[in-house]
Amino acid sequence: MDLTQGFGARSGVVGPVTGLESLNFSDEFRHLVATMPPENTGGSFTALLEMPVTQAMELLHFTDSSSSQARTVTGDIAPTTLHPFGALTFPSNSLLLDRAARFSVIATEQNGNISGETANSLQSNSGANLDRVKAEPAETDSMVENQNQNYSSGKRKEREKKVKSSTKKTKSSVESDKLPYVHVRARRGQATDNHSLAERARREKINARMKLLQELVPGCDKIQGTALVLDEIINHVQSLQRQVEMLSMRLAAVNPRVDFNLDSILASENGSLMDGSFNGESYHQLQQWPFDGYHQPEWGREEDHHQANFSMGSATLHPNQVKMEL
Amino acid sequence: MASADKLINTDVPEKDVFALHFLQSLSNLRTQSPLNSPNKSIDRVRKIKKAAYVSMARAAGGTSRLWSRALLRRAAKDDNKSVRFSRRKRKVTWKISSKRKRSNQRAPVVEEAAERLRNLVPGGGGMETSKLMEETAHYIKCLSMQVKVMQCLVDGLSQK
Repeated sequence: MDLTQGFGARSGVVGPVTGLESLNFSDEFRHLVATMPPENTGGSFTALLEMPVTQAMELLHFTDSSSSQARTVTGDIAPTTLHPFGALTFPSNSLLLDRAARFSVIATEQNGNISGETANSLQSNSGANLDRVKAEPAETDSMVENQNQNYSSGKRKEREKKVKSSTKKTKSSVESDKLPYVHVRARRGQATDNHSLAERARREKINARMKLLQELVPGCDKIQGTALVLDEIINHVQSLQRQVEMLSMRLAAVNPRVDFNLDSILASENGSLMDGSFNGESYHQLQQWPFDGYHQPEWGREEDHHQANFSMGSATLHPNQVKMEL
Repeated sequence: MASADKLINTDVPEKDVFALHFLQSLSNLRTQSPLNSPNKSIDRVRKIKKAAYVSMARAAGGTSRLWSRALLRRAAKDDNKSVRFSRRKRKVTWKISSKRKRSNQRAPVVEEAAERLRNLVPGGGGMETSKLMEETAHYIKCLSMQVKVMQCLVDGLSQK
């Protein structure tokens, strides 16, 4: 994605945001970049966060105090000092939290800036908060390993995931259908064990399909509530099946009158069915029609008789072609 | 409408394919019983209805769709002459049914509707709810196409 590449380059220039649906998010990122200190001090922890030092420490202290609570921490973190992030929706607050947690692991290796206790608590918090299908500690380990390289790439990966997860609400149905791994993010206040995750993914799949069905059945998109929609869908299927039965009865009634041969039927259907949208595939099928002895004499007899009936240009073609086959 | 969602493929062939298959099946019907010519109209209706469903299943994609496969299999079971249906190697569906048993508290509203749908849509018995809804969407499209074709046919014939 363009957004993440722009960040990965650390150039401070955010590329055009394409395909992202949460626009305010990208605005906040730009704002974030604007408040970045002009020079990036080496490998310091706060510079990695791309925030002024004071803000970073503020954030850390906030997270430290609130990490001891239950998982739903993020509501507390909205201090006045963090004005760039104040307007963000709540997922981004937890994003900050986990970003801080992530880098705190690095920091302990590097700076000794932060007490191990904070790092541990933050990490456990992040581990609990972020429930991803792929293993998370593996990621942090790899980041610790190759420090310089992985700072930028790890950040990019992380931001990618954050962007993905932030747009998860809007894109969730799409993602859960497409990917073999379902990157489901635990929303605030929801259980994060595997079963409920799978449940949620499955529920979203079902909802996506129900939306599709809703579009299909006429008059279904105005109805509120899943139960009524489902009832309507079932009624529609039943009515269609009844229609088929009704029409087959009518056909059976009509049939004895007409000498049931191909020509007459094609002739009678000229106006209704075959209106120039006769594609090549059907032509071939028509030509390979299994003619048996029953049909052939009829062709010879009635070809002149029915010539007059053929009015449409496209329709006149295929009986002639059929005759050529014989 | 189907192209809006590219992930769940519910494309259905054009009217012509349906028309072709239906006419083919009807002419087969004709060749089949010109001699005994069932006088009772109920028999004819039943035959025509069955021919309609079978041709719809063939036109809609043969055995590549679950419902069409089940339909064809059901038709082949009844009488072997009218329907030619080669048995495919059946995929095991045990897993699906066991999964369904495990977690039964899945949105009971949806589940009871799914039960009703399963009775309606052919082959619905062995499917999970999400798969069922996919099949239902395709089935609805094919059914409406078939209805259109039959309507045109009846109108054309009764006009003459």
